Amino acid sequence: MTAMQPAVGASTSSDMTINLGPQHPSTHGVLRLMVALDGEYVKSCRPVIGYLHRGLERMMASRPYRQSVPFTDRLDYCASLNSNLAISQAIERIGGMAVPERAQCLRVMLCEMNRIASHLIFFGTYAADIGATTAFLYAFRERERLLDLLEAYTGARLTYNWIRPGGVASDMPEGYAAAVCTFLDGFLKELDAYDTLLTGNPIFRVRTEGVGIISPEKAIAYGASGPVLRGSGVNIDLRRTEPYDAYPQMQFDVPVRTEGDCLARYLVRVEEMRQSARIIRQCLREMPEGEHWGKQPKVFRPAAGEAYSRTESPRGELSIYLVSDGTANPVRVRVRGPSFVHLSMLPELVRGVKVADMIAILGSLDTVLGEVDR
Amino acid sequence: MSLPPLRRAAPTRTGFECDPAFVAGQFAAGVAVLVAAIAAASALPRLPWRLVDPVLIFIGSHPVVNALVKALTVTVFVTVHVIFLIWLERKFAGWMQARLGPMHVGWKGALQTVADAVKLLMKEDIIPTRADRVLFVVAPFLTFMPTLLTFMVLPFSPTWVAYDFPLGILFVLAVTTNISLGTLAAGWGANNKYSLLGGARACAQVLSYEIPMAVAMLSVVTLEGTMSLTEIVKHQQSGWNIVAHAPVMIPAFLIFMVCGLAELNRTPFDLPEAESELVSGFHTEYSGMRFAFFYLGEFAANFFTAGLAVTLFFGGWMGPWLPAPIWFGIKTIAVVALFMWIKWTVPRLRVDQMMGFCWKFLVPASIVIFCATAIMVMVAGS
Amino acid sequence: MTLISAFLRGFVSILQGMSITLLNLVGRRKITLQYPYQRPNISPRWRGIFYLPYNDEAGRLNCVGCTLCAQACPTGVITMTKMGAGKHASVNEFTMDLGRCMFCNLCIEACPFDAIHMSTRFELASVDRGVSLLAIDKLAQGGADAVERTRRTIEAALEQEAAAKAAAAAAKAAASAQPTEGTGA
Repeated sequence: MTAMQPAVGASTSSDMTINLGPQHPSTHGVLRLMVALDGEYVKSCRPVIGYLHRGLERMMASRPYRQSVPFTDRLDYCASLNSNLAISQAIERIGGMAVPERAQCLRVMLCEMNRIASHLIFFGTYAADIGATTAFLYAFRERERLLDLLEAYTGARLTYNWIRPGGVASDMPEGYAAAVCTFLDGFLKELDAYDTLLTGNPIFRVRTEGVGIISPEKAIAYGASGPVLRGSGVNIDLRRTEPYDAYPQMQFDVPVRTEGDCLARYLVRVEEMRQSARIIRQCLREMPEGEHWGKQPKVFRPAAGEAYSRTESPRGELSIYLVSDGTANPVRVRVRGPSFVHLSMLPELVRGVKVADMIAILGSLDTVLGEVDR
Repeated sequence: MSLPPLRRAAPTRTGFECDPAFVAGQFAAGVAVLVAAIAAASALPRLPWRLVDPVLIFIGSHPVVNALVKALTVTVFVTVHVIFLIWLERKFAGWMQARLGPMHVGWKGALQTVADAVKLLMKEDIIPTRADRVLFVVAPFLTFMPTLLTFMVLPFSPTWVAYDFPLGILFVLAVTTNISLGTLAAGWGANNKYSLLGGARACAQVLSYEIPMAVAMLSVVTLEGTMSLTEIVKHQQSGWNIVAHAPVMIPAFLIFMVCGLAELNRTPFDLPEAESELVSGFHTEYSGMRFAFFYLGEFAANFFTAGLAVTLFFGGWMGPWLPAPIWFGIKTIAVVALFMWIKWTVPRLRVDQMMGFCWKFLVPASIVIFCATAIMVMVAGS
Repeated sequence: MTLISAFLRGFVSILQGMSITLLNLVGRRKITLQYPYQRPNISPRWRGIFYLPYNDEAGRLNCVGCTLCAQACPTGVITMTKMGAGKHASVNEFTMDLGRCMFCNLCIEACPFDAIHMSTRFELASVDRGVSLLAIDKLAQGGADAVERTRRTIEAALEQEAAAKAAAAAAKAAASAQPTEGTGA
């Protein structure tokens, strides 16, 4: 019968074009990578996106402002509260709403909890990408406890829609602070154990050290943000440089590593989980009394104009741009997602590396396709 | 709208929770089964064997019948013990990952593998249109047959060995190398790019790791002066190799273990079926019974490699009180558990690192161990 | 030398990792929930299937058919037809298409009458799309019975109101017929 068919669209006959995804165990979500392989080496890689395109920006633009919040849950579904925060801030800016102090603090707490949940997904899936299945399940065990807490607060486990323009949809339930503190105590201990299990492992280190190096110049040129940028030694965290909500009062370190490789990005995220736990504790300790919900206009028709909000989502800078013409619906909603930017770096990063490294690099960028495709 | 306070409902009780009485009952049942097994095993020699003697003599004396019975026994054993091993692996992985593993079919999911096997048998037999049909069909058997053959020389006890080959180790080395032929055939025959990459990786890996493994085994051969597996066990009467000759045998055992992991395609050397890269490598296109044969081969090889390690380093069937085959089984399952333990702890190496580790570290190290053993034997002899 | 120390460190690290997995193997509670047999502990705030609360004292559903929830819904899940008018109003039909629902809680917050709630029921899967189209008898707390009682209460109240109105009108007519006793326009 036939032998191997010659590769399609590749430069030489020894190349092999392979489609990783949209259904493939390693592509997070529905990403398709068209990869030209020369044996084990990647010659070129072209990400094909759009499998999850739902037209969210247009859907948000065709509805009253406040109804756009649940759609942001579907952007970065690993950290939907952070997306809620981005759109809520944009709407508050365009409508000139004030957020009570308690609501600000609650928002920070919720966002940091979601950041931990999101980084735990990264930790788990990255371990699975490298081949350590057990660490994956450990990470999901901890995430499950965190989701239980978020469920107790918001009533949902993934698409929360709880941070709203003007505040937070509800106050904490009774006894919540104690429950969160109990979780954090256990979680930090577990995190140390996972650190020992994975971070110190020599196989993990040789797979990630020096792989997929992004220089600070390149990171800035591409517009990278979040852990990818900080893993390359650029100390920019919007929670620090352009603080919003209750972040100015919070004490936390911004982990920065200069190596710029997969391991650096991984370590930045692991350290961020610890810092997030610190921030959550501060929020719970210094939670101001008051309302969780600011005064809201009955009919929300902001004056014609535009607003831009920048937030630090677990993946990087998540910004939302709103244009109003004075009617009840926005004219344009534009989402600037970090995952899209990071994914655009992939072809350059994986040129000439091995297939296994490509998976490691893709995992270390931690893209969420809900936000890439929108 | 007022929201109710944080309050968790009491969990509903079902049979799956740890009821102390339930646990005690299960423990008692386990002890009873164990006692019954030991009693049966110790009663076995006192049974009126004279009644079956004529049959045994016939089987033993007739060359064709003898060979057929042995082959059948080995095949049945390989197939049946794999059912247990797969269950063990799934339970082991589950418990290690804070899960329960299979729970539904049979006691604690013990019959899950049987159910899976039935499912695989009933599945449609798919051969991809553009596959190389002959290679595709033959490949699963090519990987399974060498493993089956190796069981012929594995000594479960002084007498429980299908064929006590004087050159047992040579036979093992010669036969197991052929596994790579099957994986390569599967990788090529399926006409799938993932399969091809997986097949190529598998072939390179098995061939490379064969060398340090062989050298590690040869140091045992040097030490014992024989290639017969039963003889090697008998020589360990005074003490297990790994204890009696610890300075050379512990490193040799470690090298053997690492190479065994690589030969078995288990993490950290599961590159041929690296899920996150190659979907499932050389058996991506396989389904149904053909897939089951790959699985069968893999788990049988697992048991065999562990059994070989026990034979070479841990005194084979030897042990107090219990009958020899049971000791062999216990030791082998322990080594299998060690394989599983490593598999579910560590990540996967990259292909060049895997090759580099073999050629730059394991091969020189195994040669050093071999030389050290040779010198030791020389010194002891003189 | 560094090579050897790196090798040893790696070896020790793998052993550490193995001790962690061993600890989880023998020493940790398993977290698997045998789902259909074991039920999860669900938060009382859980956003599950909707219901329309029934007010026993008033003998009717809380809903007044004001369509605020339908207006607040981003995906147009809710459709309703009003029954009655003014103070004595409720809904004839109240249909939710859960196939479109995002469970975003906006309808519940929009309701000024506390007339729509979410329950902790979460098993929404079905093989028939019709199942996710919930009519009022499925949504109302107390089912079709509650809907029927609401209808009767509203009708009775409306009749009463109409009767009162008629009586008032009659009285007014009577009053205007006898202008001598009138107190004013």
